[in-house]
Amino acid sequence: MNAKQDNISALQEQLEHLRIKLDEANETIDAIRTGQVDALIVDDGSGHQIFTLTSADQGYRALIETMGEGAVTMSRTGLVLYCNSTFAEMLGMSLSSVIGLSFESFVAGESKTYYRELFKKCWEEDCKGEVELSGNHVRIPVQLSFTPLELPEGVSLSLIITDLSKQKKLLVELENKNRQLAELNEELETSNRDLLQFASVASHDLQEPLRKIQIFSNLVKDKDFSNLSEASRVYMEKIIRSSVRMKMLIIDLLNYSKLSDNESIPQKVDLNEIIEQVLTDLELVITEKDARIYRETLPAVAANHAQMRQVFQNLLFNALKFSSPSITPVISITAVRVKEKAFDSAPDADGAFVLISLKDNGIGFNEKYANNIFTLFERLNTKDEYEGTGIGLAITKKIIEKYNGLITARSREGVGSNFMFLLPVSPQLYE
Amino acid sequence: MNKKCIILAEDDNDDQFLFVNFLSDHPVMNLASAVANGEELIEVLENTDDENLPAAIILDQNMPKMNGLHTLKFLKSSDRYARIPVMVYSTYLNDVLIRNCMAAGASLVFNKPEDKDGYHEMISELFKVI
Repeated sequence: MNAKQDNISALQEQLEHLRIKLDEANETIDAIRTGQVDALIVDDGSGHQIFTLTSADQGYRALIETMGEGAVTMSRTGLVLYCNSTFAEMLGMSLSSVIGLSFESFVAGESKTYYRELFKKCWEEDCKGEVELSGNHVRIPVQLSFTPLELPEGVSLSLIITDLSKQKKLLVELENKNRQLAELNEELETSNRDLLQFASVASHDLQEPLRKIQIFSNLVKDKDFSNLSEASRVYMEKIIRSSVRMKMLIIDLLNYSKLSDNESIPQKVDLNEIIEQVLTDLELVITEKDARIYRETLPAVAANHAQMRQVFQNLLFNALKFSSPSITPVISITAVRVKEKAFDSAPDADGAFVLISLKDNGIGFNEKYANNIFTLFERLNTKDEYEGTGIGLAITKKIIEKYNGLITARSREGVGSNFMFLLPVSPQLYE
Repeated sequence: MNKKCIILAEDDNDDQFLFVNFLSDHPVMNLASAVANGEELIEVLENTDDENLPAAIILDQNMPKMNGLHTLKFLKSSDRYARIPVMVYSTYLNDVLIRNCMAAGASLVFNKPEDKDGYHEMISELFKVI
């Protein structure tokens, strides 16, 4: 009996002793954690010992404790000697249950092989790698950054664990968004292609019956016009005029759809030459309207000759067409080099873009329609008053944008319009 | 004076009629026959004696079976027909088609006319190459 009693009291004594040692150790750990002391973990051959340095930098220790990344010190055999609370929180475990365990036990199964490689390599040099950790019902993708610490007292390993969950989640979201975007783009391209193909086929196939209407109505006019009643002659003229108009529409529509077809490489285009040619083409209307046209010397732009001609043809012809009947039409073309592709960009003699303004004193339009006028088939005036297909400005805008430019319009009814467009100056490269 | 014979390959009845109509009062040229496509044209030519071969051939581009360009290439590759001037015409001319036809040996490439004046101009151009 006595022997048993002795045994019990001896064990109780040992237990008490251990409890005291545990309290001491906890106090030390608390002290380390709160930054009161610094600690070194040293392998002296017979196991790991914690050496504390009360003089150490408290701020540094506190930083480790409060930073958003996990910090672990590991022994040569891979046991967790120290960790900050962030790391324990990552795993959803308590600090005391983490310390002393092998770090590998927190590495998820499929990452273990890679982790072992890293663990082998990291004693030679700093190394990094991404693994998945498995904690208390959680799995966390992390980046591990190993730094071997060679101290006079022995070797240990410092490890920073960066939680990648948010990044991974964002990455997945980003990938999803990108995929959706790519799908939408593809759909858009397909529908655009279909639309253009439709426009092209439709206008091709429309030409055949239209030509028949034109030619046979012209035949009636040539052969039997005198035999028609007064009313029928008017109807016949209407048929012929409408078919001419439809022909114009079809040709414009074809030209519009062709603009999207082929990628054309921008060339150096002398706009002064272009304006010269367009003014010659419009000579008749200019004389008829007694219009005055003023123009500055324009820089060369990076575009296509024929298409630039179409732009100036459309804009100048519009300015003449929509001139005010009561006053002499005055059209001025001015240009200023600017820094950037923006209408409010600062002037810059060496700027990459040129801002061209084509200003008239014509009938103008309500500026609330400034965007509509560049839309296909959009007309602000009845076609009885002003001829046109409603495609001209849409073509103009499409050409300008094709060469990395921008177009806009300002206007006041009864005062005049100002069409402004930006184009990259040659030899500015096409983006 | 014997009129110069022209053969027209054209699948559209209205266009056949128009050609006949505008060529009927031409002092020199005469539409010998009109066929519906390239295959029929070749069949007609094969059954014609050398001395009765046409002075010119007019091909519509858009025809079933053998289109204008296709027929043109066949004619120009044949010893018997290569010397006959050929005109290709179409409602939908484009630069590529014009280039291809000229490269294949066409004497003329024309847009189908929209009125009397257009036909007369085309016919007088055709007369120049005969």
